[in-house]
Amino acid sequence: MAENNIEFTSVVDGDVEEVPNKKIIKFNPPLYKQRYQFVKKLVEQHQPKKVADLGCGDVCLLMILKYQKCIEELVGVDINEGRLKWNGSRLSPCMGDHLDPRELDLVITLYHGSVLEKDCRLLGFDLVACIELIEHFDSEDLAKFPEVVFGYMSPAMIVISTPNSDFNSLFPSAVFRDSDHKFEWSRMQFQTWALDVANHYGYSVEFTGVGEPPAGAEDVGCCTQIGVFRKKAKATESAVLEHHGEHVYEVIYTTSYPSLQQMDYCRRVVTYLVYREVNRMKQRCQVSLRQHELEPESADPGNPTRKFISDPPVPVLTEADKAMEMIPQPFCIGDKFYVPLERIIAYPRLGHICGNVEKLREFLFDVVELNCDGSAVKVDLHDCGDY
Amino acid sequence: MSGRARARARGMALSPSAAEVGRIQASPLPLSVALSDSEASSSSDHVGTSRISQKFEGDLSSGDAGCTFKERVGKIRREMMDLSVCTREKLAHVRDCKRGSSGIPVKLVTNLFNLDLPQDWQLYQYHVTYSPDIESRRLRIALLYSHTELSNKAKAFDGVILFLSQKLEEKVMELSSETRRGEAVKMTITLTRELPASSPVCMQVFSIIFKRILKKLSMYQIGRNFYKPSEPVEIPQHKLSLWPGFAISVSHFESRLLFGADVSYKILRNETVLEFMMDLCHKTGMSCFTQACEKQLIGLIVITRYNNKTYRIDDIDWSVKPTHTFQKWDGTEITYVDYYKQQYDITLSDLNQPVLVSLLKSKRNADAEVRMAHLIPELCFLTGLPGQATSDFQLMKAVAEETRLSPLGRQQRVARLADDIQRNKDARFELETWGLHFGCQMSLTGRVVPSENIIIQDHICQPVSAADWSKDMRTCKILSAQSLNKWLVICSNRAERVTESFLNCLRRVGRPIGFNVNHPKIIKVQENPAAFLHAIQKYVDPEVQLVMCILPSNQKSYYDSIKKYLSSDCPVPSQCVLAQTLNKQGMLMSIATKIALQMTCKLGGELWALEIPLKSLMVVGIDVCKDAFNQGMVVVGFVASINPRITRWFSRCMLQRTTADVADCLKVFMIGALNRWYKHNHGLPGRIIVYRDGVGDGQLRTLIEYEVPQLLSSVKEASSSTSPRLSVVVVRKKCMPRFLMETGRTLQNPPLGTIVDSGATRPEWYDFYLISRVACRGTLNPTYYNVIYDDNGLKPDHMQRLTFKLCHLYYNWPGLISVPAPCQYAHKLTFLVAQSTHKEPSLELANSLFYL
Repeated sequence: MAENNIEFTSVVDGDVEEVPNKKIIKFNPPLYKQRYQFVKKLVEQHQPKKVADLGCGDVCLLMILKYQKCIEELVGVDINEGRLKWNGSRLSPCMGDHLDPRELDLVITLYHGSVLEKDCRLLGFDLVACIELIEHFDSEDLAKFPEVVFGYMSPAMIVISTPNSDFNSLFPSAVFRDSDHKFEWSRMQFQTWALDVANHYGYSVEFTGVGEPPAGAEDVGCCTQIGVFRKKAKATESAVLEHHGEHVYEVIYTTSYPSLQQMDYCRRVVTYLVYREVNRMKQRCQVSLRQHELEPESADPGNPTRKFISDPPVPVLTEADKAMEMIPQPFCIGDKFYVPLERIIAYPRLGHICGNVEKLREFLFDVVELNCDGSAVKVDLHDCGDY
Repeated sequence: MSGRARARARGMALSPSAAEVGRIQASPLPLSVALSDSEASSSSDHVGTSRISQKFEGDLSSGDAGCTFKERVGKIRREMMDLSVCTREKLAHVRDCKRGSSGIPVKLVTNLFNLDLPQDWQLYQYHVTYSPDIESRRLRIALLYSHTELSNKAKAFDGVILFLSQKLEEKVMELSSETRRGEAVKMTITLTRELPASSPVCMQVFSIIFKRILKKLSMYQIGRNFYKPSEPVEIPQHKLSLWPGFAISVSHFESRLLFGADVSYKILRNETVLEFMMDLCHKTGMSCFTQACEKQLIGLIVITRYNNKTYRIDDIDWSVKPTHTFQKWDGTEITYVDYYKQQYDITLSDLNQPVLVSLLKSKRNADAEVRMAHLIPELCFLTGLPGQATSDFQLMKAVAEETRLSPLGRQQRVARLADDIQRNKDARFELETWGLHFGCQMSLTGRVVPSENIIIQDHICQPVSAADWSKDMRTCKILSAQSLNKWLVICSNRAERVTESFLNCLRRVGRPIGFNVNHPKIIKVQENPAAFLHAIQKYVDPEVQLVMCILPSNQKSYYDSIKKYLSSDCPVPSQCVLAQTLNKQGMLMSIATKIALQMTCKLGGELWALEIPLKSLMVVGIDVCKDAFNQGMVVVGFVASINPRITRWFSRCMLQRTTADVADCLKVFMIGALNRWYKHNHGLPGRIIVYRDGVGDGQLRTLIEYEVPQLLSSVKEASSSTSPRLSVVVVRKKCMPRFLMETGRTLQNPPLGTIVDSGATRPEWYDFYLISRVACRGTLNPTYYNVIYDDNGLKPDHMQRLTFKLCHLYYNWPGLISVPAPCQYAHKLTFLVAQSTHKEPSLELANSLFYL
């Protein structure tokens, strides 16, 4: 089934390399994937927070982008309601997202609507992708398009891809790559249009492409041509935040990911991390206690067996541990083991999430037992809960 | 075991898709999540399309025998298969009424909800072909779904079979569509069947509908149940998360379609497999780390970080590291590290970790090659509890406290689910398009049958508490007991003192109940299993009646080696006691009483009896248990009463391959039991009632077609004139319905002896529910009884009450139990063999309850 899916995805995307019977040029990885990879790289480079995919179709690009940690809002717009409906749930958080939440919130929304209509919910985006979209417009729609995307949405960055008809000379048949294509532009045509639009709306544009031509035919350029548009002037904040306007699009699907920005998830993760660190420190303490009891037996020296996982945390002093020499140490009173909160927060991840001891204490309140002045976590030194 | 799993895995290492990761990459998430949930239940292989299409010839069949559907659709859910087995119509005496009459009526609330359908509701099954043929299931589905003709209709489609709730205008409909590549595709949709709402096929479609609905309520399917990770119960000190959820079912009960929901929890370990490994490594040390790791992890189910799949860990490959490469579907090589970075933006922190190996079995095609998936420990979360955790008292207590729900709490959960379904816009829409209406929670009337009297040697007693007559037992003489004259006690040197005081106590408690205990020979040995076994081998002679071992620890090898030797090699009843138990201050008297009673039974004694109105009745219990040692083996246990009073038992047990039919050994067992009865009673029993436990989903037909005839033929062979009359009752401890009793404003567990034989039962079966236990906390589960064969022609009321009586006769517990005693005996026997001895016990012990 998996194998079929690949084919299916590419077929639906109308990829050139799949032209039946006449597979002369084959891209590896497939061209549609190269296009998505291109967008993904842009995201990695520019770290946008809000990203929209216009003409998102089967939501494949969104599926890739949802793993990007920087994105907090992901929107897909498509005219085909049915496809959004069946594909929506592919974007829902997976079980792992609940067990190990993202750092930042992520909301994914799919809208049913035309890219040529203005909807204020698409204002203020950092990146808008129009992958293999414009060639499906007739001339009338094409004329409206820049005004909506560049003029109205006016995101910080726009990426537009479209077939490069110069490349078509390498294909055996002389038809468009997809029956729904209204046109296929040469590089010259695309660039003229793009520069014109960019100038009009105050954007700069760079041209590139994916799908390298075969050796000997370099002059036709890449199979897919891409324009990356960047807004010259920073948007005035007020304009961006004006979100009153019409809601034209219909929400087909929306989902919100668990994240550390949400109090309950954050508290959970902090609690687990605290328990983990405290237990590790406790184990270390138990080991040293045991070593005191049965002297000279030192920890087993240089292990002859191959290391199957990286060193267990206990015997190795990491940089972080060394830095912690300065910080209050865990201690025992009777059969209780105490770890000062200051010590806990010195662990990078906990420090990163909580920021300061007060915040940490707040998180642990009512969940973990603290000592009387609330400065240290208190657990039993010897528990039978381990197995 | 791990060694074998590994060999299995290694053997398959050469299969083409050596690494699952490549496969995942190919399909980031199955498209089917939303659009064709049908695949999960009625998954049909599209490879077989052409074959299927030839079979149809366009004609319309409206009947629906389960087996033909099975052929067509491939895999039908197993419990659905049971529903097509109609047993009641063959039982003349219950055809009109299967309800009992005695007892006091009681009003009960169920966890079932009415699902209403229009009266003339039908499901239309279509067959879809494509021209030119398209192999990709996803493309087939996408093409069909995007067609305007069908876009607004309620539908379920798996690529071949389409279900609609509304009939299309024509029987054969041709639609043309175009792939985005511009290829014209002709789809031919042919009506194959019209199904009434009561058809098992419809139940399957309803399940699919509810599966979709629960997904819309943000629940995730794990196994068959649905869980809500957004509202976890946390037990951080044990690194556990419990996800609340539901087991659901849609089914036809008596006259109506009902949706059932029961609360379920999924246990998740809040740490990755890598963290688990690191902890373990620290605890065990490097030297035995790999073994310990395999022992703990193999067989567990993991959830991956990046998709919604669950995998079983079949092996750990220590030779592969994340920096190694694997082949992607397109033939390119990539390292695991790069792959996860590229695909999911995940950076692996530990480059020395091994990979987990999971063998993937194709759901669609059982013969397909088994493929392997490599999983990175750092990206896997453990579900369930590792074996050792279940013996961690603190942990289990914490889990039980969180998961145990009061009757009221349970009701509130279920009611909330119903509410969510009714409030959610998408869910409501889904139901409406199918013509379903989610109705109210069902109440019904049960009956509470009177409690039973217990017969002890000198009198009949009405226990103070029907659920537990241990107090009543303490001073009463039991029915019969052999005195213990020659016996051995083996203990370690350390346990000598406690053993002495225990033996004194044993003699003291034995006297009033009529069990005479002589002084044993005490043998002191070293604290190791071999020493115990050696002492037994040395000192046991044919005159020894019983061997008692005071075990220094609950290390399994003590118990297993002793039991194995004494139940098969040298058959002598044995009693193992933990030294630790004897140290419990202030408890010694009650412990000694319990042990004394157990020893009496092992020597062939009888403790108590019940008034059994039927004279000359033999009751039989059968259970099946998987061998813990050997995956391909099951243990079949058979226990039959050999006196009319139902106080003495004969047992047989056999290990056999899982593939073999249980029926095969039943004939031998039954004949053995009848012979034994004959010897004791100089005649054959007039009636036999067999309680069959350990029946899995989908096995009902096998039971009727093979097991019942085997039992019948052995009964017939036993006598040339009038052979005993036979009844066979299937016992199930797990069932969907729950019953709660309304008392004032709150809800309680129903009282002991509550019987439900209407509303939540099946029209096609002679079945009933019985509550034969009490619970001070938590919610009770009823036990479900299905009489699949009945020559005895007992009135339903008598059958029900007899079953209730039999729940009183388990000698290991002076009280009521959840199943009839013969079932519990059979269970105990199979458990002993499956867990400890792995060997058939000697026939010499067949007349005693040596397995208690």
